[in-house]
Amino acid sequence: MSAAPASVLEKKDGVSPPGPPSSDAPGPLAALLRNPKAMALVAALLVAVVSALVTANGAWPADLTFDVRSPLDDINTWMAQNRDTHPVFLYFLLHISNTSESAVDGVLGALEGLGFIGVTVAAVLVSWYAGGANLRRRALALAGIAFGTFAVIGVLDVWEEAMETLALMVVCVAVAGLVGVLLGLAAGLSDRAERILRPVFDTMQVLPAFSYLLPFVLMFDVGTPAVFMATVIYAAPPMARLTSLGLRGADAAALEASRSLGASAWQRLWTARLPLARKPMLLGLNQTIMMCLSMVVLATVVGAGGLGDPIFTAISTLDVGLAAPAGIAIVLIAVWLDRTTAGFGERVDDAAPARSAFATRVVWAAMAAVIAGAAVLGQALGRTEWPENWVIDISQPINEVVGWIERELGSGIPVIGGTLTWANGFIDYGINPLFDALLATPWWAVLLVAGVLGYLAGRWRAAITVVLALAAIGAMGLWSRSMDTLSQVIAALVVTLILGFAIGVLAARVAWVERGIRPVLDTMQTLPAFIYLIPMIALFGSNPAAAAVASVIYALPAVIRITAQGIRQIDPSALEAARSLGASTGQQLRQVQLPLARPALLVALNQGVVLVLSMVVIGGMIGGGALGVDVVRGLTKGDLGLGLTAGIAIVCLGLLLDRISQPGADVKERALR
Amino acid sequence: MTTTTDKTPAAEPAAPVFAVRDLWKVFGPKAQRIPGNEEYAGLSTAELRERTGCTAAVRDVSFDVQRGEVFVVMGLSGSGKSTLVRTLTRLIEPTSGSITMDGQDVLGMDKNQLRDLRRHKAAMVFQNFGLLPHRSVLDNVGYGLEIQGVSKAERRAKAMEVVAKVGLEGLEERRPTQLSGGQQQRVGLARALAVDPEVLLFDEPFSALDPLIRRDMQEEVIRLHREEGRTMVFITHDLSEALRLGDRIMLMRDGAIVQLGTPEEIVANPADDYVRDFVQDVSREQVISVRRAMRPALGDEAESGAAIGPDTLVVDAIEAVARSGEHCRVVDNGRTLGVVDHEQLLAVVAGLDTDPRDKAVAAV
Repeated sequence: MSAAPASVLEKKDGVSPPGPPSSDAPGPLAALLRNPKAMALVAALLVAVVSALVTANGAWPADLTFDVRSPLDDINTWMAQNRDTHPVFLYFLLHISNTSESAVDGVLGALEGLGFIGVTVAAVLVSWYAGGANLRRRALALAGIAFGTFAVIGVLDVWEEAMETLALMVVCVAVAGLVGVLLGLAAGLSDRAERILRPVFDTMQVLPAFSYLLPFVLMFDVGTPAVFMATVIYAAPPMARLTSLGLRGADAAALEASRSLGASAWQRLWTARLPLARKPMLLGLNQTIMMCLSMVVLATVVGAGGLGDPIFTAISTLDVGLAAPAGIAIVLIAVWLDRTTAGFGERVDDAAPARSAFATRVVWAAMAAVIAGAAVLGQALGRTEWPENWVIDISQPINEVVGWIERELGSGIPVIGGTLTWANGFIDYGINPLFDALLATPWWAVLLVAGVLGYLAGRWRAAITVVLALAAIGAMGLWSRSMDTLSQVIAALVVTLILGFAIGVLAARVAWVERGIRPVLDTMQTLPAFIYLIPMIALFGSNPAAAAVASVIYALPAVIRITAQGIRQIDPSALEAARSLGASTGQQLRQVQLPLARPALLVALNQGVVLVLSMVVIGGMIGGGALGVDVVRGLTKGDLGLGLTAGIAIVCLGLLLDRISQPGADVKERALR
Repeated sequence: MTTTTDKTPAAEPAAPVFAVRDLWKVFGPKAQRIPGNEEYAGLSTAELRERTGCTAAVRDVSFDVQRGEVFVVMGLSGSGKSTLVRTLTRLIEPTSGSITMDGQDVLGMDKNQLRDLRRHKAAMVFQNFGLLPHRSVLDNVGYGLEIQGVSKAERRAKAMEVVAKVGLEGLEERRPTQLSGGQQQRVGLARALAVDPEVLLFDEPFSALDPLIRRDMQEEVIRLHREEGRTMVFITHDLSEALRLGDRIMLMRDGAIVQLGTPEEIVANPADDYVRDFVQDVSREQVISVRRAMRPALGDEAESGAAIGPDTLVVDAIEAVARSGEHCRVVDNGRTLGVVDHEQLLAVVAGLDTDPRDKAVAAV
């Protein structure tokens, strides 16, 4: 198991040596010997490799395995039997379930009542308002995006699915936003609440979206209520986090001024604190909305319906043409929602004098009137549903294109091979050897290496977390499935980091590259994870390589962005000093930019790890297999024992990977020096 | 250039606006044990921190602020002056001592009384302005009134009036971010004025501004004080600002008072080497008055020469003496107190009037 993990680590430590280039610089070996951390790591790796070679079989011993599936199955059975009778359900969970269902139905009814004309007009007006409610370019562009989105949705014949997804989203966003604001207020105003909530949010951010669905399916069975609860809990943290951040980051002088004028605590909150925190709060809402969309689409696995449905069906039948209309619709909705909420955020900074309260009210009233008018018009024309003859079928042509890709680009292209050839190569020379190596290494050696890594990243606390997480995986009897997932994660991570750092450095140094890729990254980061699977099955078919490539593509934007930002944000005077001393481009990069950007690079690494894992798990659906497919099978076939144990294993893997990749202890120590 | 002569010296006060006695503010664990404790009394700030982990920002400070005066608290950064001004309205809770405002015990006030004090009696102007970026200039100025619960029409009318007073006409609908630093601080000043407070508290209001703008703003404060006669407590680290604005100056170092007196007293008669270092570059002739420089009239000198008041600055007396070519008489209410000629005035400029208090006392 040596090769790939070692290279990951080298990336971690390779940027580190900030030591003065003294004339009697020690050789690489001597430097290694002097560095106790590196020594510990090398020793652990050595033990792992040697023991792997000696034993050649290191799977978790059967007598250390405990049966957790049967009790979980029992719980599931009990839940199924008592869901309609037990008081906990009758007086608590059933209310949540009924309320959420009727709320979603209500919103869906309202959207249907508005008709396709009303909905489109409403979307266009809201976007136009977010853009500044005038005739300038920004407002018109946003209105144009809204119009285009809904027109295309109609034309591609996914209007009804889109409305289902939107109705579910409206309810989820409203509740997640509310919960987020309340938690954010608590964390922003009370230090104790912040201390309690912060680690919870931190951990929640690490967990793959899939793992949120399982407990709620156990509680509510498949259907809207489970989707609603999972989505709210998945999407509320960014709102809470940014609300707290905004409240804490508010200009201290303004708050003091407010206090000095005799404002009561309530007045201070209402007139100074919250308004000063508006911008981060809107950013939080934006993130919450995007996460809601991502989850609602993904939750089609547990019966959320809507736009995710055709994609899910298409993925299991490898029918790209079927997935395409829904996929395009989701992309457009994501872009529309992102730009519109971002527009509201930009309005906060607007230098233009604020419109008077009266004028604002007039604009709102006029908008409401126009929307109502459009709805009435639709009803009068008898056209509330998208007309059937305004529809274009793109499935057929797309399937033809996909077929052509498979035939012509799949393999047999001279010299470069082809997508399928590459995929097979990646599996044969990347994922599989890694998997074999991980399985050949004795379990205790894997624990040792992980523990050492954890200790290096975050001292004992991290080391213990990491070892316990791995041990839990083994004890549940999921050692080899987890190693399968882990090998995919590592393979995808290596590719992600190589590409991400390279492109990030390039973007930081070359202005036009940065300009060119920024809008692409912006868009990619708003798209739900699910979407990335569609082009992958078109290019690579259904296999672990497709899942790995999807993860690479999913994680790349964040890695590139953080890398580029970190390099660009280093102290310009340090770079200028290096330039004035005549440093070449390479020297600037090696000696100044990369060392100074090290914290950012470590954050990029951590983000990359978290994102790759979350996508590899989803990639189980397109041939990634392993834990991801167990979860899906558990969710769709009602085999919750299987799903939940796999889900717990995924959570453990998430904790493990996050803790060993955290820019923890040693970065903080360095910062203090 | 100086306006010292324009200032109405504080008339014998009936009651001070602020009376501060034995005030301490100690930051750190178990701060309560520090004030009045003999064991810690002689320690420097660094030693105190070493021994107790506490920092005494204000140490045993007592002073009065008289009605209508500009009371300047001056010191280098870390001298505790900003902490001191915040304890006056309990934006920072003092550790021990007493503060009375208009005879009321500030430290004994409950939440509502304190809120009332902040709303109506004392308003503060901050170094970093502390404006609300999401509100227009007018709404920022009316913010204090809004907190008091004044109706919208009324507070807009009042805000308009104050905006005009500080010279921001035409900018009412701008956002603070669209204003220059000087304009922003005018908004801060207007916000404090709008609530019509008894006392204005300034916490280094102009140190973030360019020198030229700072001068403008100082003029503005002098003008406002001349027009309204409002009591002001002004914190600064800038000696020339202190001398320009202050009726009285309280010099602080490491949280304690080093010297409290009129600008003239401080320049002419520094309490110790620390103060002397501070004031050594001051143009003495622009601060010291002829009352300090004069000598008793000899012979018929009391009969001749131009008459000048005892508060005339030396710099003005030099002009009078140079013009007439002879000595000037220092006359107060028709009585000749003494005379000044080249010799006395030059001695002031050269800093040779080493012990002016004795001289002044002898002369009177």
